[in-house]
Amino acid sequence: MEHPILFISIILEKLGLPIPHGPVGNGLVEQLCAPYMTYTWFTMIFLAVVGKMTLGNLEMVPGKGQNFWEILIGGMENFFLENMGRELTDKLFPMIATFALYIAVGNLIGLIPGFMSPTSSINTTLALTIIVWITHHIIGFRANGFAYLKHFLGPMPILIPLMLPIELISNFARLLSLSIRLFGNIMAKETLLGILFMLAGAFFAPLPIMILGVLVSLVQAMVFVLLTVVYFTQSNEHAH
Amino acid sequence: MSKMSKEMIHLLGNYGHIGFTFVAAIFIGMGGGIYLDQKVFDDRTTPWFTFIGLAFGIAAGFKSLFDILKQQEKD
Repeated sequence: MEHPILFISIILEKLGLPIPHGPVGNGLVEQLCAPYMTYTWFTMIFLAVVGKMTLGNLEMVPGKGQNFWEILIGGMENFFLENMGRELTDKLFPMIATFALYIAVGNLIGLIPGFMSPTSSINTTLALTIIVWITHHIIGFRANGFAYLKHFLGPMPILIPLMLPIELISNFARLLSLSIRLFGNIMAKETLLGILFMLAGAFFAPLPIMILGVLVSLVQAMVFVLLTVVYFTQSNEHAH
Repeated sequence: MSKMSKEMIHLLGNYGHIGFTFVAAIFIGMGGGIYLDQKVFDDRTTPWFTFIGLAFGIAAGFKSLFDILKQQEKD
């Protein structure tokens, strides 16, 4: 399903850069110019520029922009503190908060005509998920040493041949479910919006889906972050 | 954030991924079984590792459901 209009792709095409017509192109430049890449960069630039503009000079009495960020970051930090504890929050707050902001903004810009959600491509969500998945194993090994492997061995030594494959499969299932849930929800929203826009755009048919889209975007970002926090907490604690 | 919406987020996070996790576990188990059958053992063991993998995948799916329930009880 091609998007009706993607303005960054149009600008790049006018500049003479190759735009792939499938989901991903063949050459390196084509792959770099794929819509989900360009919109990923757009989201990154957006977050960096807005952060710089509103937080350029910090003040004791916060203005409008600083107030917004203080509420957002403060709320997120409280949430992480409740779930992960002080030590992990201090270590991992920048990473998880970046993911939260990036996923939320990336989901929401797909609702504006002419934009596309970078998270509606499996490449983006799988990349985020692989980072989370590898990080939660690193946290486990750093917190517990080789005793972390006891997480995968089940409660009793006799049950090891049965429990080891089950635990491994359910651990790999995290990789799949975390990435495909975000990808599937956002891709469904984008495709539905595209089809409704094409069928009955003149009668505002996409509007109800857009309202649902706002909800889905925020909920999916929250679920991703919450599950990240849960995985980190689980791998940090001792095996019983 | 009010108490109500915080509760709501927790419930969504804990229960919202049940379906996907269950299905993903079964798919990974069966995919591993098919891989063992077709690539590692060159079709000599054909139906067996697929079935074993499927069984382990279903078991892993139920185990992850159990984990979700335990996680919710702890909170």
